[in-house]
Amino acid sequence: MSDGQRSPTTGSGQIVVSGLTKQYKNVRAVNDLSFTVEPGRVTGFLGPNGAGKTTTLRMLLNLVTPTAGSATIGGRRYADLTDPLRHVGAVLEASSAHKGRTGINHLRVIAAAAGLPKTRADEVLAMVGLTPAAKRKFKGYSLGMKQRLGIAAAMLGDPRVLVLDEPANGLDPEGIRWMRGFLKALATEGRTVLVSSHLLSEMQLLADDVVIIAAGQLIRQGPVDQVIGSMAQTTRVRVRTPQATELAKALREQSAVVEVDPHGALLVAGVDAATVGRAALAVQAELHELTTERPDLEGVFLELTAGKAGIR
Amino acid sequence: MNLVRSELLKIRTTAAWLWMALGALLAVALAFVTNAWLAHTTLTGDADMLGLPPEEAAAQQDVVGQAANLYTSGQYFGLLFVMLIGVLMVTNEFFHQTATTTFLSTPKRTSVIFSKLVAASLIGFVFWLVTSVINLVAGALFMSINDFGTQLGEWEVQRAFLFNLLAYALWTILGIGVGTLITNQIGAVVTSAVVYLIGTQVASLFFFLLSSWLDSEAVLKWQVVLPSVASSVMVNSIESPMLPAWWVGALVLVGYAVVTGTIGILITRRRDIS
Ligand SMILES: Nc1ncnc2c1ncn2[C@@H]1O[C@H](COP(=O)(O)OP(=O)(O)OP(=O)(O)O)[C@@H](O)[C@H]1O
Ligand SMILES: [Mg+2]
Repeated sequence: MSDGQRSPTTGSGQIVVSGLTKQYKNVRAVNDLSFTVEPGRVTGFLGPNGAGKTTTLRMLLNLVTPTAGSATIGGRRYADLTDPLRHVGAVLEASSAHKGRTGINHLRVIAAAAGLPKTRADEVLAMVGLTPAAKRKFKGYSLGMKQRLGIAAAMLGDPRVLVLDEPANGLDPEGIRWMRGFLKALATEGRTVLVSSHLLSEMQLLADDVVIIAAGQLIRQGPVDQVIGSMAQTTRVRVRTPQATELAKALREQSAVVEVDPHGALLVAGVDAATVGRAALAVQAELHELTTERPDLEGVFLELTAGKAGIR
Repeated sequence: MNLVRSELLKIRTTAAWLWMALGALLAVALAFVTNAWLAHTTLTGDADMLGLPPEEAAAQQDVVGQAANLYTSGQYFGLLFVMLIGVLMVTNEFFHQTATTTFLSTPKRTSVIFSKLVAASLIGFVFWLVTSVINLVAGALFMSINDFGTQLGEWEVQRAFLFNLLAYALWTILGIGVGTLITNQIGAVVTSAVVYLIGTQVASLFFFLLSSWLDSEAVLKWQVVLPSVASSVMVNSIESPMLPAWWVGALVLVGYAVVTGTIGILITRRRDIS
């Protein structure tokens, strides 16, 4: 979509997960998982509860040791990056600051460790709109404010790769829209954005690519449109008219597949909305509704992961 | 260096250190009064009042030793508080789930623990400095008012000051070690405080019984394997048949700090942060 728009970071921020496996005592949380994440695109990381998303992201960031396999960012393991915060920003869970520390001090602690100037803390706090709460203690933050603080921390080093685990959790509608714009803009700048989420309608708006896993294994990877298109679900046109019988007859003559839904609306497959409109005009049918129903990510996701035990 | 700065900032931006500092100051005040009374009683010859065996009483009747004891007042609880700071420096990371953030900014976990060790010894130094200045001023006043002389020229007294510093640094480091071994905040704080306060008494009693059973005073010297006994032996210059030489205490304490520190680093390197 926007590959190669910005040169300095493009090409160096590719994430490669290869043969990644994590065996906990009783569960194989991640099982021989391989996929790639490209710079300049937002990649959605999807899977049912307990699929292994968080475990995968934590292995990518050297927080959890893999049983087998490897994960690299720009060709290097996270542990081998010099100045990791200047390369990778991560938002992992909402409640990861000392309860008694103020938001601004939380960021200063991280900035100090990464050798970043103190002023950077104020900048990122403003970036996520948290400046008014800068001097309040973390325990007084709402869920959404915590989430924003996490995003601010991730942006401290102006990284070219962003990894987010359910960042939309707890954000209000305004916050979700802000985040969508924010992440899309980062990707447009050529950065790599990997984001896990359960909000599939949101993902459909946000992601360019998706990686779908279930039970620790890869189910499907690719551009959103391709993944959706690959499934049996097809685009249908929904049309409501008092002259349903006449219109259905006319459409079937054009080899369209017409079904009637319980509310009496026609669901037309095989022709586009324009064709339906033209047919309606020809048989003088009065139209009350004419909408194109695209198969959505949610439907495809549920179909792909059906039967794959989520919680193990 | 950045990491040490970050660790110190972590401590400064929370309230725990303040409570520990208040506790340590209170301990200094109480201990100083007690030690001053003890010094006065023994040095003016009322030692039988304390009910000690004669040779022990004679050992106590040593002006330099009493001065050293006085100048390191508050050590007992002060060390407990710096150890708790050390414990909190590690367990806070797990309790508040900041370990994730910390290890994201520094994936080299050994460096993180080392910077905590350095920051911890700096804090130990500050605690020592403040308590020592208080003890120095008050102690010198007390000693000269009572005509015992300040004794500050004595090497034994100077050594007590220096080794008190070593004790503060080592106990903070020991706290870090305990924190990495027991990451559960409450578990670590309770364990270390109980072992320090009660465990020492219980073990002393055990050694006392053992020594009377074996009819050997030498057994009592083995108390030095307890870290808290080791550190008071290290600072104390009083030569007593019940206690081994100061350097034994120093070695034991350094040993504890090195062992807990090393095990802590090894464990932390392997731990899954999830
Ligand atoms: N520290 C751990 N010890 C044992 N099992 C674990 C541990 N962490 C995760 N698991 C198990 O690994 C599996 C994957 O968990 P993970 O948190 O990666 O899933 P997820 O895809 O992030 O789920 P969700 O969508 O609910 O966040 C689960 O079955 C979980 O119980
Ligand atoms: Mg998860």
